[in-house]
Amino acid sequence: MREVDMLTGNVAAAWAARIADVDYIPAYPITPQTEIIETLASWISQGLMKAKLVQLESEHSMLTAAGTASLSGARVFTATSSQGLLYGFEMLYNIAGWRAPLVLVNVSRAVAAPITLEPDHNDVLAARDSGFIQLHAEKCQEVLDLILIAYRVAEDHRVMLPVIVNMDGFYLSFTREPVYIPSKTDVEEFLPPYNPPHPFRAGRPVVKGAAVLGGHIYAYFKHNIHESLLRAGDVFKEAAAGFREVTGRFHSPVEGFLLDDAEYVLVVTNSFTSIARKAVVRLREKGVPAGLVKLVMLRPFPSSDIMEKLRGRKAVAVFDQNISPGLGGVIYNEVAAALYHVKNRPETLLSAIGGVGGKYTTVEEFEHVFHMLMHPEKTQPGKPVFLFRADELAHVQTALRLAGYTGEET
Amino acid sequence: MTAFTRISHSPIMERGYIFNPHIVVVMDETLLADAQARPLEDLPRGGVALINSARGPIFSEDQAGHVFMRINFTDPALRIIGKPIVSVSAAAAAAKLCGLRKQHVEEAVREELSELGVRDELLEKNLMLMSETYDNTPRYSIKVDEERVGAVELVDPASGRVVYSDVFAAGNAVHRATGNWRVFRPVVDYGKCTGCKVCFIYCPDSAISLDAENKPVIDYEHCKGCLICVVECPIRAISSVREVEIFA
Amino acid sequence: MLVLRAFHKVLGPNVVFVNAAGCLTLLQVYPYTPNKSSWMYTAFASAPAGAQGIRDALDILMEKGRVNSFEDLKVVVVTGDGAAYDIGLQSTSGAIERGLDFYYLVYDNEAYGNTGFQKSGATPYGSATATTPPTERNPTGYTGVKKDLFEIWRSHKPPYIATVAPSHMVDMLRKIETASQFKGPKLFIAFSSCPTGWGFDPSLSVRISRLAVECGIWPLKESVYGKVRHTYIPTVLKPVEEYLRHQNRFRHLFTPRKQETAIASIQEQVNNYWLEAAKNEGFRITVAKPVTIAPP
Repeated sequence: MREVDMLTGNVAAAWAARIADVDYIPAYPITPQTEIIETLASWISQGLMKAKLVQLESEHSMLTAAGTASLSGARVFTATSSQGLLYGFEMLYNIAGWRAPLVLVNVSRAVAAPITLEPDHNDVLAARDSGFIQLHAEKCQEVLDLILIAYRVAEDHRVMLPVIVNMDGFYLSFTREPVYIPSKTDVEEFLPPYNPPHPFRAGRPVVKGAAVLGGHIYAYFKHNIHESLLRAGDVFKEAAAGFREVTGRFHSPVEGFLLDDAEYVLVVTNSFTSIARKAVVRLREKGVPAGLVKLVMLRPFPSSDIMEKLRGRKAVAVFDQNISPGLGGVIYNEVAAALYHVKNRPETLLSAIGGVGGKYTTVEEFEHVFHMLMHPEKTQPGKPVFLFRADELAHVQTALRLAGYTGEET
Repeated sequence: MTAFTRISHSPIMERGYIFNPHIVVVMDETLLADAQARPLEDLPRGGVALINSARGPIFSEDQAGHVFMRINFTDPALRIIGKPIVSVSAAAAAAKLCGLRKQHVEEAVREELSELGVRDELLEKNLMLMSETYDNTPRYSIKVDEERVGAVELVDPASGRVVYSDVFAAGNAVHRATGNWRVFRPVVDYGKCTGCKVCFIYCPDSAISLDAENKPVIDYEHCKGCLICVVECPIRAISSVREVEIFA
Repeated sequence: MLVLRAFHKVLGPNVVFVNAAGCLTLLQVYPYTPNKSSWMYTAFASAPAGAQGIRDALDILMEKGRVNSFEDLKVVVVTGDGAAYDIGLQSTSGAIERGLDFYYLVYDNEAYGNTGFQKSGATPYGSATATTPPTERNPTGYTGVKKDLFEIWRSHKPPYIATVAPSHMVDMLRKIETASQFKGPKLFIAFSSCPTGWGFDPSLSVRISRLAVECGIWPLKESVYGKVRHTYIPTVLKPVEEYLRHQNRFRHLFTPRKQETAIASIQEQVNNYWLEAAKNEGFRITVAKPVTIAPP
């Protein structure tokens, strides 16, 4: 029997951990993720879940414990955000280098300074070079589904790498949506037990994390991570096919919406995709051949899927809810590199930056992006366009004045 | 441990490792037989291997056209400074081979060592050691072949599977013969030894084991010559002897 | 090295050492290891957290019936003083507070040895280090105090803490054995004389350790749930000068001119420590006379 319930993204994530029968949950509180560990703590305390949840004294320790527990053969689930992710940052590279599969849920939150709570993607994207697989969710259902698929991909002996599953803080973490929770038998059919080849055990001594001195040896191991990450893309597709058989729901690294004859396409990720969908529908009603591409998988970067979905389009915009100061949007630059050698690549590739710090991006703003695609002569090629409304700017100016900022040099 | 120096009148357009040395200074002759070290691997025909050695002829040549120059750095250092610290000796010998003048070597040694806080008596002893080694190093004009630029063969390091950087071979460090670190070797006088086991307890490298009569057996493949056993033996039954064997 | 050997002898082969960056990290350099047991290198600040992960994982897997108890491992954190006193203090405190069942062995050579002997929280007053060099303007070297890690740990009241020294092996082996009967944090600080960093001939390593104990510089003690007992009483303290003069890191206290005040202050600290300890535990001790300086 399939159960559907109104769940927040956080609770959906907790459910995924529960039905995946995780063994170990190292935890540390941070807004907007804390509800995940509170839910799990409550379930474990009530005996509804057999796992060990331990609160560590910082995210750096939390991630360390997560990694070594995975190396000891435990299926590990953990979660953090923004400052916490960055505090434990060196451990992300360690966990990947140790080849320790686990799932880390990042509830995205813009990064200090200034300190804030609302979401953007600078936190999770900073981890894109760490060796973690990265999956981004648009809806609460996807949060649950992607976590289950993540375990299967991570623990596959052809991959053996950790996964970050990203959900937007507040917009998903604290928003209730209908979520189907797969049954225990469905999950058992889909997800085999975690069986790493060399866990720490008496009688089977092993050294993990030894120093490697010699550039070529280090390079070899690092290349192996890259190679395994690329393979993970195919393993994901395999796993997704298996997932569809069991649940009826299909996930792919790159998803299209109203894409068939689209001439103008917006590339987008995470929860604001839902708003962008509305913009596409409205434009279609007015006869504009608009479409949308949603990136689910950020690492491995799905170059061939991107190339296939964007070739032959007239104009494409990439919406970045992040900013690399001094350059522009992170995902824009990765898409551009993927398209460079495509013979019939889009004439126009526009960078649109919005939603930084969780700044709400309205349907009208997304529509505006499409208008710019239709009138590229009004934009400067390669220069990112900032989605920032006049009323918002007025509000900022009021705030500055209230704060006593005069703008005069002293 | 390896270090690299380039000396030239013209701009140097290289960096880091030297693959075609004119001179290789081998501070420890036991490294010649060490499979991991292979100090003469890239020495070209006509290149000089300057070896810290107490034995053998000063000059010799092998079939590959390498020139071997053997000079004793260690014993003069022990005599003059009291410790086997041979950096100034090696510098003096190598500098002479490069055609650098003694006064410049002296200036360099004075400056380098002063910066490290070496002063007065110890500095003078180092300078004395430098001077003696410089004088004892014969002049030699090095002729090596022109550098050949070889073709490089690139391969794809992909392996098709997950390769773990774990070490599974527990205790395999025993295959590394670290006995050649020794400058002095401890030798047990079994006539005096009472089998008290103090040396066995205090060996930090587990290089002393006990035989059937509880007498110590020193593993000379791995004894690094720290000489704690010599100091701690309550009846001074262990003596320290200058190590001059080459490890085959 | 001696301490590591002692631990291995008592605890047996079914051990996983969890290590943070330091001198002993380079015992394993790929593809070689001297260990016949397991070893996990974590990160500088988080060896205790790494130990937490392994211990918790083995526990939950045994609880869930997926791992047998004969496959269980003892978890031993091994770090230098840099990790223990400074960057890893936070994660150690957390692990003790959570009652983690593990051993912690600190090899204390009173500086960051692996990176060239820079000052750490464990550096004692008067020591020269690469970042506290004695100069004309600052002749004493390090002028701060050595953190009291034993007391910091003891304030958490873990089951067992001990200080050990390689010169006193019976005391050390007995302490490891005593510790092994407890469940929870079992913490050791080992005096680790460092020939390279402290500047003395390697053959004197054990002798220096013996002097440290006899001069009262390195008290040998244990704490059981916070209650302290000194396990070796140097009934007549040798003057600290005897310990200091053999090490290059203290040479500046003797030449070019003898720094009487500095040496006296070291002696006074040592004396005060032992007078206090004697009072608390009811034993007798004769302290060494600090050198008094006649006023000019």
